[in-house]
Amino acid sequence: MVHQHFKLIEVFTVLDNIILGAEDTKLGFVQRKAARKKVEELSKRYGLNVDLDAKVENITVGMQQRVEILKMLYRDNEILIFDEPTAVLTPQEIVELMQIMKGLAKEGKSILFISHKLNEIMEVSDRVSVLRKGKYIGTVNTQDTTAAELSRMMVGHDVQLVVDKAPAQPGETVLKVTDLHVASRLYKHDAVKGVSFEVRKGEIVCIAGIDGNGQSELVFGLSGLEKCSGGKIEINGVDITHAPIRKRSEAGISHIPEDRHKHGLVLDFTLEQNFVLQTFEQPRFQHMGFIKFGDIRKYSERLIEEYDVRSGQGSITMARSMSGGNQQKAIIAREIDRDLPLLLAVQPTRGLDVGAIENIHRQIVAQRDEGKAVLLVSLELDEVMNLSDRILVMYEGEIVGELDPKQTTVEELGLYMAGAKRQDRKKEASA
Amino acid sequence: MKKESFFDKAGTRSVLASLVAILVGMLAGSVIILIVGLTNSSLGIKGAWEGIRLVVAGLFATGRDAAGGLTFGFNSASFGNMLFRAVPLIMTGLSVALGNKAGLFNIGAPGQYLAGTAASLFVSLSVPTSVVPAWLVWLMALLAGMMAGACWGAIPGLLKAYLNINEVLACIMTNWIAANAVTWVFDVSNLKNVLEGTKSGYIYKTSTVLNDVVIDGVRSTVGANIPEGAQVVATRGGVATAKMGLDSIFSGSQVNGGILVAILIAIVIYIILSRTTLGYQLKACGANRYAARYAGIQDKRNIVLTMALAGALAAAGGALYYLSGNTEFFWNTYQSLPAEGFNGIPVALLAINNPLGVVFSAVFMSMLQICGQKLTELTAYNEYITNVIIAVIVYLSAFMLVIKMWIGKLRKGKAVDK
Repeated sequence: MVHQHFKLIEVFTVLDNIILGAEDTKLGFVQRKAARKKVEELSKRYGLNVDLDAKVENITVGMQQRVEILKMLYRDNEILIFDEPTAVLTPQEIVELMQIMKGLAKEGKSILFISHKLNEIMEVSDRVSVLRKGKYIGTVNTQDTTAAELSRMMVGHDVQLVVDKAPAQPGETVLKVTDLHVASRLYKHDAVKGVSFEVRKGEIVCIAGIDGNGQSELVFGLSGLEKCSGGKIEINGVDITHAPIRKRSEAGISHIPEDRHKHGLVLDFTLEQNFVLQTFEQPRFQHMGFIKFGDIRKYSERLIEEYDVRSGQGSITMARSMSGGNQQKAIIAREIDRDLPLLLAVQPTRGLDVGAIENIHRQIVAQRDEGKAVLLVSLELDEVMNLSDRILVMYEGEIVGELDPKQTTVEELGLYMAGAKRQDRKKEASA
Repeated sequence: MKKESFFDKAGTRSVLASLVAILVGMLAGSVIILIVGLTNSSLGIKGAWEGIRLVVAGLFATGRDAAGGLTFGFNSASFGNMLFRAVPLIMTGLSVALGNKAGLFNIGAPGQYLAGTAASLFVSLSVPTSVVPAWLVWLMALLAGMMAGACWGAIPGLLKAYLNINEVLACIMTNWIAANAVTWVFDVSNLKNVLEGTKSGYIYKTSTVLNDVVIDGVRSTVGANIPEGAQVVATRGGVATAKMGLDSIFSGSQVNGGILVAILIAIVIYIILSRTTLGYQLKACGANRYAARYAGIQDKRNIVLTMALAGALAAAGGALYYLSGNTEFFWNTYQSLPAEGFNGIPVALLAINNPLGVVFSAVFMSMLQICGQKLTELTAYNEYITNVIIAVIVYLSAFMLVIKMWIGKLRKGKAVDK
């Protein structure tokens, strides 16, 4: 099985990782030579190019995935399971993976490919089985079906796969970031290295990139969860570089966080308690430090109604007991309803089904049309291409390119994401 | 929406789970009493039966009748003493419960309790009552105790918030620092009981009247009886919690207004936790520190504040206990920490961290202590049997969630049967 998150030991070599758990030993000594021969043979036969002596921490994500595949082949497995294998890959690497998978199938292996990305499924699979909310819906031959039919099976009703939106009408600048540096969690180096950009009223700016290239740290720096080690952040001309989180939120940032369970919700609080997580100290919800329960209940009922948040017991449902889609809806309701000039949305559709994604995309576009500035951080290329008005590509903590989704292709975007291509933005700015 | 039946409510289930824990604890205690009784020729089955009756209803034991049988009835002294001893348990229980609500395990209650005891004893025995009225000295002593406890509690809070040091470790350290510091402070103080020669390890009761007198130019401290020719410089002590009429209801007991103060504080904490923005913040930090920080709640400030409040509560327990005027503080504490501090943990566990529940579980714990006392008084059993019961209850409290689920399953099973 190839897991969504690789199960590799970073400080071991590729070879050691492949044989780990299935080492041939003689008198307690690992027989590396024989193992090397077998792995080399396999990699030649299936076209899986890896450097056996490199340490895993030094190789690319794409190569790590090939290591995972070799691990399965080394054990002579006949059934290979791929769990969302494309989430961490560039478009080019995805194409490569598809070819490897087809090759493996030709060699007589059985592959179980778990994914929610319809175009990949259409490209690589022979048969598709759809699961919805833990129930088996049906199996179809890929040749006889279409992406639209599959999404209908996944959601239960018709889904619009492409977001319908009018051209952007950008207004004045809301968010201005100048030469921002944010330290990485490990404090060894900066994860964000001198990033500058602007987001204007009425546009959706998307930060694209492969996971782990500083997007999360950039968001932490903007939202105040992490201290900025240099640079400047301005909202509507107000410097908030060193402001505490509450001040930033008051200055105009609403934030749909990447990890809804860690940051977005207090899972052991009720829905209504979660709705006022930032606003409970406003006079409308408290008087002299005493909570106005009646007003919070009214507010919560309105949000539930307006944003169609579904839960077992309404306002008093524990957040933990809600479905992922409705948890995300609750967060989006809370953030959008605060009606602030900048919406910071980080992977707002992660782990959600096609129906929920459609709903959230529509809401984000509606926000833009209302004149909000939207900064979207996403790893999903479809989302990036569909939703954004401008794309900024991040690679190793820097913005390496600014693209117009109408004029670029997924392939070009992929080259920037992989670091193979970069624009000199400074020169452009001065020119 | 279908109306929830009484037994399906989460609150009911929690109370039931606590009752199950108590019941099993009592059963375990009874079994041990039975085993001890049957293996001991002087007790036998009759002795064991008496023991079991005392463990369950020791509170109502009034003694033995002429025929040698146990008699039961309303025992005002036992009732009063139960309430009196519940006071420090309520306060340390509240202290631990508050910490738990905010996601912090306050195992530092013994140290905070000691800090509060020391500060309040110093104030109550040092401020001259000849100048300041006694009731004011009492209030000052209580507040001083709470302040000392708050400062003591804030230390692990600060360490946790700013240096990310585990609060359990820091609390255990501060406990022992408190034990030794308090011992040392009293060692060099003039509050050691020298009037009653046999009580060398004790501090004066706060109710003791101490007169600082000058006899022939030599200054010394005497009790209420002032020798002739002595000139009184100052009068200290004579401070005790008001009885508020409770002594006439529970005659022959040590009870005083402290229990009412403790209940009042429990209600205040309950209101803070359930009705105020402060309580909301503390609970948010406790339930998910990251989400709280994301929402702009100052999690660090809340950690320090929680620990300071918890410290003040535990300290108030010590202050109220010793300001009663009828308890003496044994100051050679450096080898042990006050049990009242640690007992706050089972009290809070049994109450599932509900401040009002803490009042009941603390009263229950002190009832067990009374039962143990009666067991020693009236039978050949040792009072430590009640400690076994408490221990079993604490163990089961830890399994409370399992018991709760089990009760839930029983209910579900029944619903299906219908």
